[in-house]
Amino acid sequence: MASLVRMPEVAASATSAVLLAWNKQVGEAVAVGDVLAEIESDKAVVEYTAEEAGTIGHLFLAAGAEAEVGAPIAILLAPGETAAEVAALVASLGAEGVAQAAAPAGAVDAPAAASAPVSQSTARVFASPLARRLARERGIDLSGVSGSGPRGRIVKRDLDAMKPVPAAAVAAAASPAGESAYREIPHSGMRRTIARRLSESKATIPHFYLSVDCRVDRLLALRGEFNASAPRKVSINDFIVRAVALALREVPEANVAWTDTALRQFAHADIAIAVATDEGLITPIVRAADTKSVSAISAEIADLAERARAGRLKPSEYQGGSFSVSNLGMYGVDEFAAIVNPPQAAILAVGAVQQKPVVENGALACGSVLRCTLSVDHRAIDGALAGRWLAEFRRVLEAPLSLLSVA
Amino acid sequence: MSERIKLAPAADWLELKATEEDWAQADPALLGNLLAQMHLIRGFEECVLELAAEGLVHGPAHSSIGQEGGAVGSIIALTAADQINGSHRGHHQFLAKSLGYLQPDGFDFRAPLSADVQGLLQRTLAEILGLAQGFCAGRGGSMHLQWAEAGALGTNAIVGGGVPLAAGAAWAHRHAGTDAVAMTCFGDGAVNIGSALETMNLAAAWKLPLCFFIENNGYAVSTKVEEVTAEPRLSSRGGAFGIPSWKVDGMDPLAVWLATREALAHMRAGKGPTIIEVDVYRYFHQNGPFPGSAFGYRDKAEEAAWRARDPLELVAAKMRERGLVDEVEVAALRETVKQAMRDAAANLLEADPGGKPGKRRIRPELWPSQDFRDVALRGDLSELAGARTEELASYGGKVEQRKFVDVVADVMTRRMDTDDRIVVLGEDVHKLKGGTNGATRGLSERFPGRVLGTPISENAFAGLGGGMAMDGRFLPVVEFMYPDFMWVAADQVFNQIGKARHMFGGGFEMPLVLRTKVAIGTGYGSQHSMDPAGIFATSPGWRIVAPSTPFDYVGLMNAALACRDPVLVIEHVDLYGSTGPTPVDDLDYQLPFGKAAVRRTGSEVTVLAYLSMVGHALDAVEQTGIDAEVIDLRWLDRASLDWETVEASIRKTNNVLIVEQGAQGTSYGGWLADELQRRCFDWLDQPIRRVTGGEASPSISKVLERAAFARSEEIVDGLQAVMRDKGGV
Repeated sequence: MASLVRMPEVAASATSAVLLAWNKQVGEAVAVGDVLAEIESDKAVVEYTAEEAGTIGHLFLAAGAEAEVGAPIAILLAPGETAAEVAALVASLGAEGVAQAAAPAGAVDAPAAASAPVSQSTARVFASPLARRLARERGIDLSGVSGSGPRGRIVKRDLDAMKPVPAAAVAAAASPAGESAYREIPHSGMRRTIARRLSESKATIPHFYLSVDCRVDRLLALRGEFNASAPRKVSINDFIVRAVALALREVPEANVAWTDTALRQFAHADIAIAVATDEGLITPIVRAADTKSVSAISAEIADLAERARAGRLKPSEYQGGSFSVSNLGMYGVDEFAAIVNPPQAAILAVGAVQQKPVVENGALACGSVLRCTLSVDHRAIDGALAGRWLAEFRRVLEAPLSLLSVA
Repeated sequence: MSERIKLAPAADWLELKATEEDWAQADPALLGNLLAQMHLIRGFEECVLELAAEGLVHGPAHSSIGQEGGAVGSIIALTAADQINGSHRGHHQFLAKSLGYLQPDGFDFRAPLSADVQGLLQRTLAEILGLAQGFCAGRGGSMHLQWAEAGALGTNAIVGGGVPLAAGAAWAHRHAGTDAVAMTCFGDGAVNIGSALETMNLAAAWKLPLCFFIENNGYAVSTKVEEVTAEPRLSSRGGAFGIPSWKVDGMDPLAVWLATREALAHMRAGKGPTIIEVDVYRYFHQNGPFPGSAFGYRDKAEEAAWRARDPLELVAAKMRERGLVDEVEVAALRETVKQAMRDAAANLLEADPGGKPGKRRIRPELWPSQDFRDVALRGDLSELAGARTEELASYGGKVEQRKFVDVVADVMTRRMDTDDRIVVLGEDVHKLKGGTNGATRGLSERFPGRVLGTPISENAFAGLGGGMAMDGRFLPVVEFMYPDFMWVAADQVFNQIGKARHMFGGGFEMPLVLRTKVAIGTGYGSQHSMDPAGIFATSPGWRIVAPSTPFDYVGLMNAALACRDPVLVIEHVDLYGSTGPTPVDDLDYQLPFGKAAVRRTGSEVTVLAYLSMVGHALDAVEQTGIDAEVIDLRWLDRASLDWETVEASIRKTNNVLIVEQGAQGTSYGGWLADELQRRCFDWLDQPIRRVTGGEASPSISKVLERAAFARSEEIVDGLQAVMRDKGGV
């Protein structure tokens, strides 16, 4: 009998995962233990092996698409079964099948689609014909609109709610009870994700915070010299990211993430950089920053930030990571405490470089000071370890020549 | 011992045989005319079979070879004012009537054929080949040959289907005060179908000058007449209905002529219908160029025996006996006809450039244009141009509150006063103070002879109305007591009345009004509780109006009576007792053609309704407070519906709810939803939603009945579902 293969829960508490690549295509025989697909959770890419033998009858997802855990991803046919069984099984899924059947089989079956991961989820957007026409006329990308109609269908009201309300309408909207006038901006999908993830983080991760002042006079001087001869200018933040990476290499116990079953210690420092976009916060990742030069990191961050603002990041470029850096220094913020970006265990909040009176060898002097605050998941990292890491970070930053090493 | 009295049918049943004396006394001109026409028909049919064998006839070619004696012997006795219709096997009768029309003084078998006759042969052949120059512009073909001018009303591919229509023509002849008759020709197979038997009864009851001409060729395709009836002498049917009947040897054209003369005298004297049964034999199979024996249902000996009695040979032999013709002249006649057919075919065919030597094809330029496909399915409505139209909202005259059903009777009274052509027919329409609901109140007293209480034979009286409409001298208003009876009359309603105009080439009008009332909710159960709108809307040719107010009823009925297409006027028993503003002393306006009425302006959803559901929809809107736009469609068929108003509303509200009362399956909204999603797809914010009754037809039990149809409560649910699916919550 034809059976459904569903998206596995490759990581505890993962609600969705990305189907990175199919190792089997429609029509191919599958033996128990064969690798069906590579699936990327928030944290890892796992090879998903077949639990039953059969033949692939249908693939619901194109490579690169994301699906909820438990959603059907493929149909495995028993010997002798045909397209009729596929159709029957798909039909029996009803709305679930429709909602999850991300792409028509033809598109999934095409070899090109299988070999080249698709840039974003191909799950189709359900919108009423009117909504599609209005979106076309108003230049709205429906993939960013959440639908309130039946089964999540995007309907006219969802688009109308996005329209800027004219001033006159705002005034008219003042409630009779004397409340202030307001307008409601509907949530974008990104806004909802930020809200969900950070609420979850703040509610479930036991945070604690450590702050440190770093003297960055030498760093500023080094940067000046470096930029004087470098083909492209490097920012303080690029150095900070490099320092974070080196500190994580030096204190690998802090390069970890909490899972229900184990503490996951990462081999490399994948540093997520908080980037503000018009749509909201996103954190693209500089992978293995511990192995990259500061100029490489700088170039990569520039590229990631630019594409983040254009909304053109691949999921793999912003999912996962082992540590985040958030820098509000450009706004003159002295210091702040950030919320840990799950599944990571720590985030460093970086303030502005400030000229401050400092005591040096018993004498008052003027120094450039950078205040950094580390937010930590106490389940994964204890206070002493966090302190040790922060000290290492400060040491590297204050002795910045080591930041220029490549290895 | 009981007293047992032998009874006999009231009407005579005779077998008529021509004697040697008859032959000796027969007018030589009559004999020559018989001979010439039979040869023309045979030569024509041989040509058709030759073309069929070459694959040039698309569809069946039902040959009449062997049956010429019956057709010519009878029709030669008719005048140009008399009319005939026929069955799928009708080339011979069509030609006989047309030849008689072209040369009322008969044919001299020695004379060359006139250009008119040559043209008749070619146009008939062209119709059988499906070509534009044919009598029905190629739409009818072999089985639908019509030349109304010649009194050939049209042959029919539904067995017995033409019989009720001929009764309509006969009714018109009688009531127009002429002595003309109609002759309906059909075969042994049609004798046992309801249309024929119902019409025999109806024609006899109303003394219509209609001859039921039965060509008994012994086989309904391959089924022998003895297999399907215990009385294979088919003229016996007359005894059951009080119709005098003649049985004649159809291979003897003189005998047929003699019998027809007697029958005509009876009919022209106003004594009612007649039956003539002629025993004939088709030499070939049902269709095509092979004998029946080739298909195993009869043998060659039987075929040879009948061929030995060939009517052409018989007449020629009798004429030779009297020295009226010789072999050479007969051969010359045959050659004249063959040459005429070669010439006719040559004008329609050419050598096939891609085929083998000798292979012919239709001349490509002679096919009808494909864009002629739907032309004249209905009329152009020029008859409505210039009519005074009114809407209640803008009506300037005085109005008073009137009961709906009274207005139904009043407007018909007014129209019958002003238009003598109008005839009302249906079950009990003439009694019970205006039929079962009072809708025809006062008509029979005021218009004697024009309000006809029919036998319970919906197929016959609907078809009779259709025949009256085709004739055109009278304007029939047919009533079905309940809409479900349309299934009983389905052949006449859908195959004949709805299709006739188009099928016969579009060259005539079909003015007929069919009234019926939806009776859902009256406890009449499964077989009396349908809404007919959906079935009529999906059948070609019909226009449909559905008035929801007395004011609209007047205007829509007047428009329906003025329209030269068949129009279904749907009424509803729930509305009969309702009242509404109606003009005082003005029953002469029409509603503007094809205009819906927006009964309530709204922004959230467009509710499409008609008949009693308009009121229910307005109730539901009031109950829910949903700002719906309620449109009373009024004109329901696709050619009359107010697409402009409906589409404008949908573009405004972006949501549609079609509400109707009756069962799902036969419901009206399905085709409408289909059309609207195509027209308005980019303006729809959700699928078109519909309110209908259940799947089954309503039951008698009050509780089950209520559960089976829709009213305000179901519309409330529908409105709320639409609002829910608009999202935003």
